[in-house]
Amino acid sequence: MEEDILTTLKILIIGESGVGKSSLLLRFTDDTFDPELAATIGVDFKVKTIAVDGNRAKLAIWDTAGQERFRTLTPSYYRGAQGVILVYDVTRRDTFAKLDNWLNELETYCTRNDIVKMLVGNKIDKENREVDRNEGLKFARKHSMLFIEASAKTRDGVQCAFEELVEKIIQTPGLWESESDGKGVRLSSEDGARGGACGGYCSML
Amino acid sequence: MAQEWSEEHDKVLKVGSPVSAIMQTESDGKAACAVSGRSLSEPARFAYAGVCALSLAQLFPEKEQRTFCTQYVEGLVQWLDLSTSVLPAMVAFSSGLGGEGTETFTKMLMEDSVLKSNPAVITQDLVSFCLREGYYDARSRVLISHVSWLLRIPPDVMEVCEESLLQSLKQYTDEPSESEQESRRKKASRKKLKRYLLIGLATVGGGTVIGLTGGLAAPFVAAGAATIIGSAGAAALGSTAGIAIMASLFGAAGAGLTGYKMKKRVGAIEEFEFLPLTGGRQLHITIAITGWLSTGKYGSFVAPWHSLLHSAEQYCLAWESKYLMELGNALDALLNGIMNIVAQEALKFTVLSGIVTALTWPASLLTVASVIDNPWGVCLSRSAEVGKHLAQILLTRQQGKRPVTLIGFSLGARVIYFCLQELAQEAGSEGIIEDVVLLGAPVEGDVKKWKLLTRVVAGRIINGYCRGDWLLSFVYRSSSVKLNVAGLQPITLDDRRMVNVDLSSVVNGHLDYMKQMDTILKAVGIKTTEEQVHPLYQPQPRTTDEPHDILPCDSDHDALDTSWNWDPVTSTEPQDPPTCQDCTPEPGTKDQGPQEASRPACNTCSSAKGAMIPCADCTNNNDTGQNSQRDTTRQRHKIKEQ
Repeated sequence: MEEDILTTLKILIIGESGVGKSSLLLRFTDDTFDPELAATIGVDFKVKTIAVDGNRAKLAIWDTAGQERFRTLTPSYYRGAQGVILVYDVTRRDTFAKLDNWLNELETYCTRNDIVKMLVGNKIDKENREVDRNEGLKFARKHSMLFIEASAKTRDGVQCAFEELVEKIIQTPGLWESESDGKGVRLSSEDGARGGACGGYCSML
Repeated sequence: MAQEWSEEHDKVLKVGSPVSAIMQTESDGKAACAVSGRSLSEPARFAYAGVCALSLAQLFPEKEQRTFCTQYVEGLVQWLDLSTSVLPAMVAFSSGLGGEGTETFTKMLMEDSVLKSNPAVITQDLVSFCLREGYYDARSRVLISHVSWLLRIPPDVMEVCEESLLQSLKQYTDEPSESEQESRRKKASRKKLKRYLLIGLATVGGGTVIGLTGGLAAPFVAAGAATIIGSAGAAALGSTAGIAIMASLFGAAGAGLTGYKMKKRVGAIEEFEFLPLTGGRQLHITIAITGWLSTGKYGSFVAPWHSLLHSAEQYCLAWESKYLMELGNALDALLNGIMNIVAQEALKFTVLSGIVTALTWPASLLTVASVIDNPWGVCLSRSAEVGKHLAQILLTRQQGKRPVTLIGFSLGARVIYFCLQELAQEAGSEGIIEDVVLLGAPVEGDVKKWKLLTRVVAGRIINGYCRGDWLLSFVYRSSSVKLNVAGLQPITLDDRRMVNVDLSSVVNGHLDYMKQMDTILKAVGIKTTEEQVHPLYQPQPRTTDEPHDILPCDSDHDALDTSWNWDPVTSTEPQDPPTCQDCTPEPGTKDQGPQEASRPACNTCSSAKGAMIPCADCTNNNDTGQNSQRDTTRQRHKIKEQ
């Protein structure tokens, strides 16, 4: 089982408070929906294995808190991420307008420049839409991101969003192989015995 | 018995109401000195738990420690009143994921409005948390000191926190005598102490408990202000829990280690007893083990350890004095009687040059052999037995449920080594031993064997060795492990715990381990009596009339920053000659990184003051894990080049 896993990918979910980041993740990992989901504290973490193009990839997904008071915590999770999902709420224009800020932060803290970005417009099941699909598409194109509209409540586009992101990561050469091949100097003699994440990054920087 | 206590206590804890002890600002407007962890803001609590979880992953990445880490994190989340939804992330942290966040977390904690003025809150809260079940795991203690270090809290704060928590717990066990009460009353009348009473009474929730502690415990504690820190912790534990916690921590039997008597002869052991070295009571204890006895000044087991002050409660193991005395006499006779200096030097040269084979022994060596081999051999096998017995005693927690530090030289180090080997074979033996110090250990230095020890030692494994110890290398001449003796060379174990200290400049021969113990202890970073007065307790010029306020509050914290030193204390006595063979830079090691060059001084070659010569042997495995990793990498590179 463990053997046919191609790689482990670090995925990050960011966006304004209340846009439905945790709901998207919950729908993706547990296929459930909770309309009363409490605000995330700090960061949430989930693991899911998915198959894309016959390759199995293990996703380590960090779901960050959107609330301002946890904002200082977020930057540390950007490091080493291979994919990022940027979420906005189609019924709240302000969450769309803030996307630029999030992209700036991403640029600032992200350690690699070829990170795969996916823009997700959430809550399309709702009536009072404020952001048009084309606007989102235009924004995504401008910043060379993948784009999809989704609804965690109705399940629309959720699976697709993650799958496409992973597909794109796997297609991007050099983005994920380095993890397993270990370009950096191996510091420990026991291969893989000691998590080694920290040391690995240090050596590559 | 102890089991019963802790079970009963568990129930008590669940009933006990959470007390948020918030110390109000003092009359002169100084910042609040004690806040419990759960009264911090939610992001701060998250970062606090995060730092702990990440530190656990860093300190105890081994698979067998995973259960401990997970339980610890779960307990902490509960303790801090954090939502259970953070558990997946915390467990991920504690299993080594997201290690990049440590810096962010610490930064955030240090910028927190409450913690900014008094980061020691975290240390205090962690101490209370770790003791809540009356079981002080050595790993918890290592974690507390690591987290404190990350938050730049002076290491002594942890001890102060422990001490004051202990004092506030103590009132549940021993009723103060008449005279004690009288003296307390007198002291309490002093102006300074009134303040503690006031603060104590002003406390929310903890009520009488803190009121009492604030006033009564103060005279006990060196740094009176520390009481305030600890009282909040004790209040957080709940007052009724006190007795159970005390009983569990110090051993239900009460008498502790000194009360231990060998009921029957165990195996080949004839004598085994703990002698108190220092009579205090503390939440961690130190057991010192002597390597041999000699007539005169060093005729007792406690003699070499006169300056040892690693903890307030210390014991010395008395074992097999008859045989150790024989060995000591043989050593004395050998070095002071039979051989003159010239012969000794010749012998030293012969042994160390490695040309000794059974066929080419000079006559003088044969004399040595006849004198030393028999007592040495006897003590060698007995020390192993004693070590195993010690392990059994520690396993049954005669010492109470608190961390133990073991220090020993020569055959005493061998006792420790076998104690650890025995512990490593037992289940549930983690978290008993905090640090171990083996000096001139007559044991094999096989990395595989030493690797086993890492499971049972939470803190550091210090191997103090001396390359020029001809006696040690001589007694091992016929053994197959001769080329790999721990007391003669560093152990190349790649683990954060392993610290090799080259004592070549301090120790000229095996006998120096006894005579130079004071200097050696300082060289390996073990606390001695000379350091008893820490800057923390000393009034600083700035604080005019209230010396107790120099607890890390406000600006005082900055002043403290400069005054502490993380490196093992270097020798104060000038040694001559100030060169050791390991410190002369070899051609291959000249290109040291800037990291090494900027280090204050080579720890091991402590006597070479100011000499910034980094040497591969001494820097190896010292200090932080990062350094050791770096060093190992370099060594590996070197090997490749060759």
